[in-house]
Amino acid sequence: MATPTTQPSSTVPALSAEREVNWPKRLKSKLANGLEIILVESHSIPRFHGELFFLTGNAAASGLAPGLAGMTATMVRTGTARRASRQIEEDLRRLGADLSTSAGQDTSSIAFAGLSEFAEPLLGLVNELAREASFPDAELERERRQKLEEVKLERTQPGFLAGERLRKVLFGEHPYAKISPSEKEVAAYQKEELKTVYRQSYTPENALLLLVGDFEPRAMLETVKRIFAPWSGKKPAVPQAAAPANPRGRRVYLVHVPGAVQTQILCGCHSITRKHPDWVKLGLTNSLYGGAFNSRLVMNIREAKGYTYSPRSAVNPLRQYGYFSVSAAVRHEVVAASLTEMFYEIDKLRSLPVPEGELADAQNYVSGLFSMGLATQDGLLSQIATVALNALPDDYLETYRDKVRGVTPDDLQSAAQKYFDSANMQIVVVGDRSKIETQAALFGDQEVFDAQGNRLS
Amino acid sequence: MKGPQIAIENKTLGNGLRVVIAPDSAAPVVTVGVYYKIGFRLEPQGRSGFAHLFEHMMFQGSANAPKMEHIKLINSSGGVLNGSTMYDVTNYYQAVPSNALSRVLWLEADRMRALKVDDENLKNQRDVVKEEVRVNVLNQPYGGFPWLDMPAVAFRNWANAHNFYGDFADLDAASLADVQAFFKTYYLPNNAVLLILGDVKPEEGLSLAEKYFGDIPRGPEPPFADPNEPPQTEERCGRVEEKFGTLPAMAIGYLLPKRRSAEWYAMALLDQALHGGRAGRIYRDLVLEKQIAVEADGGVDDIFGYNGPAQMTTKILHKPEISSLATLAAFDAVIQEMQEKGIGADELEQLKIKWRSDYYAMLEGGRGGYMPKYGLMHLLACFSLFDGEPQLVNTILDGFSEVTPQQLQAVAKQHLRRENRAIVFRAPTNPGTQEAA
Repeated sequence: MATPTTQPSSTVPALSAEREVNWPKRLKSKLANGLEIILVESHSIPRFHGELFFLTGNAAASGLAPGLAGMTATMVRTGTARRASRQIEEDLRRLGADLSTSAGQDTSSIAFAGLSEFAEPLLGLVNELAREASFPDAELERERRQKLEEVKLERTQPGFLAGERLRKVLFGEHPYAKISPSEKEVAAYQKEELKTVYRQSYTPENALLLLVGDFEPRAMLETVKRIFAPWSGKKPAVPQAAAPANPRGRRVYLVHVPGAVQTQILCGCHSITRKHPDWVKLGLTNSLYGGAFNSRLVMNIREAKGYTYSPRSAVNPLRQYGYFSVSAAVRHEVVAASLTEMFYEIDKLRSLPVPEGELADAQNYVSGLFSMGLATQDGLLSQIATVALNALPDDYLETYRDKVRGVTPDDLQSAAQKYFDSANMQIVVVGDRSKIETQAALFGDQEVFDAQGNRLS
Repeated sequence: MKGPQIAIENKTLGNGLRVVIAPDSAAPVVTVGVYYKIGFRLEPQGRSGFAHLFEHMMFQGSANAPKMEHIKLINSSGGVLNGSTMYDVTNYYQAVPSNALSRVLWLEADRMRALKVDDENLKNQRDVVKEEVRVNVLNQPYGGFPWLDMPAVAFRNWANAHNFYGDFADLDAASLADVQAFFKTYYLPNNAVLLILGDVKPEEGLSLAEKYFGDIPRGPEPPFADPNEPPQTEERCGRVEEKFGTLPAMAIGYLLPKRRSAEWYAMALLDQALHGGRAGRIYRDLVLEKQIAVEADGGVDDIFGYNGPAQMTTKILHKPEISSLATLAAFDAVIQEMQEKGIGADELEQLKIKWRSDYYAMLEGGRGGYMPKYGLMHLLACFSLFDGEPQLVNTILDGFSEVTPQQLQAVAKQHLRRENRAIVFRAPTNPGTQEAA
């Protein structure tokens, strides 16, 4: 039930009765080779979206080299035993399809979308990429050179530099600390390493196939079986990395970009993963703090003070560890003022219970946004992927909104106290040192780096 | 091949407000958009960036919904909202659980009726917009490239040639009087279209539209400056400094044929042939095969969304060891091949299938996974305001499927000429950096 308790003026129309959400029906299956399958109908247009996930990514491959799963994913679309790169691209176009291959810390994936009438050939191509990628030498050298330029370019983007530094600070020696490889590491990638990652990760026991769209699920399941059943391969053994140290005390990390005309602020601390029982409470606390337009942080540093266009906070769940972050790009003169307000709003949530009306507004927002995500094929795919990849309960979608409605002001305050770790927030500022150094130093001991990661002081 | 047919009801209210309803009860969500037929192209001279600044002001308060009330009421109803300023339109949109439909319409009607903002609001949003320009343009590698660099090089009419995000001096000069004058001139029911999509019954949508918007007074038809360009007779070139990035870049823009002419349909498929992802000829040639470029993409951005001069623009970042001239020569070779040899029936068939698939995706898709039916809303709004025919959404595909190889080649010869293009070179001031030891 929607329960708005913020009382708008009497002329504002009231909400009418809420309509029931038709929860998507999922047809689940598992092939003898271990491949998990989830099929979801959505008939709005004669298309479908799909994603073949592998449950290992850059973290699992980090023993060989950073970013290796990403490079492997790049190579997967550049040639198979049966099709050269150019053929793959033309065939995709002929099927009216888009396809991308990528890897994050915890997963690798082949994502695709196309016309329902060509579902079978498109799945055939996906199957081929997952099983028969051939890693041609010329393609590897070209993609390596592309990656080198990409890695250089990243170092000119304030958002990247901030994210890179924060992850390093929060995760230390753990693979999650590294969001992108260095030029040297990319230059040293060996073809055999890429093929090892491919052989170990791209297996049916390690995979989940998700399809959402305009098809008849039973018939689609038969098609999927016909295409994917002959595949075989074991789940890879994943080395466990030691737990990262949780940094104590506020510290400041300044990344010096000469000539920057604005400062990117990014602060963060360890929090929790999606599997943690406090996850929904934390999500709601974040939404109220800085996750929504109508949140305290946005009201404060954007709408009242005009310091920034883009303030936001986020809870970032990786598979093993999660972290909370808050960011804003602000003009130089207000770096200290912006940090002060960020911490003021954090400390206020930790110290004072949230008024019931404000909580109800946030509950409505979070639960409405969730329902909205079910209204498009790709939104649905991403919701269902979240449930499956995190091994959340089968009724997670159906019960999520009730969980949100059940959160109390006490829950919120205790989530803020536990996970908005004010005293131990790590502060990254990316900007021109001469304009911001003294402001940033007010918030803790400061280390200064250049954009290449060299320590300056 | 008959595609999905979108059910549409449309009507013009007594005050000139066009209303388009596209019912679909699959999800209990309704998307409401209001499009005003004014974009940054026709903002007042001496007030560059004003249309966009004004868009921000539309969130600062109306007669019965003070600052933040609109945002607060949408978020607390479980919905999301935003707005954007484009060349020829400015849109305001929200997606909400369908039980909040009346509330959304009330809010949109309230700010169409009267804007209630003060100097403090204006100062606040001027500051916010400056940070927006810094975060998106001034503090980013290749920020605003090429969409902010190209106009001054390509066009001669101020409407098309000025800085759409705004010079800071012009933003500073904007006054509250400018805000109210702009509002009175362009934000009129007879210069707008209201779109209601999703979980709504047509008769309910139409009667709610009448109830909330029906008594907003019509205004004088807004004066529109002529956005047309004097004929171009020579290739135009310009150079812009790149402060952060290390790769040389260039953008090549060709003027598009007139909206919905036979050439325009052919140009759209020609654009796909050249820019359609990794199979597109430019990426294939410059990045995959010759390996001159690191990035080569672009095309016509939002082909349905223009009501004046527009370009098909290729954006290239190339390797520093290859000269700009050599890169441009490789690009020209791709164009020349298209002009001389045209396109085979098989390639054109692939392009048409992909085009159809992309069009369906637009009908269904949201924006950023959270604004359902954004694509359909945009199409219906543009077809209403520019063509007077929202029903085009169900028929416009035919025009693309009828394009022949001969037409495509003819358009390449006729429109991809040097006298029809402009080139911007974006040159790094600081090429090359040293990696950490």
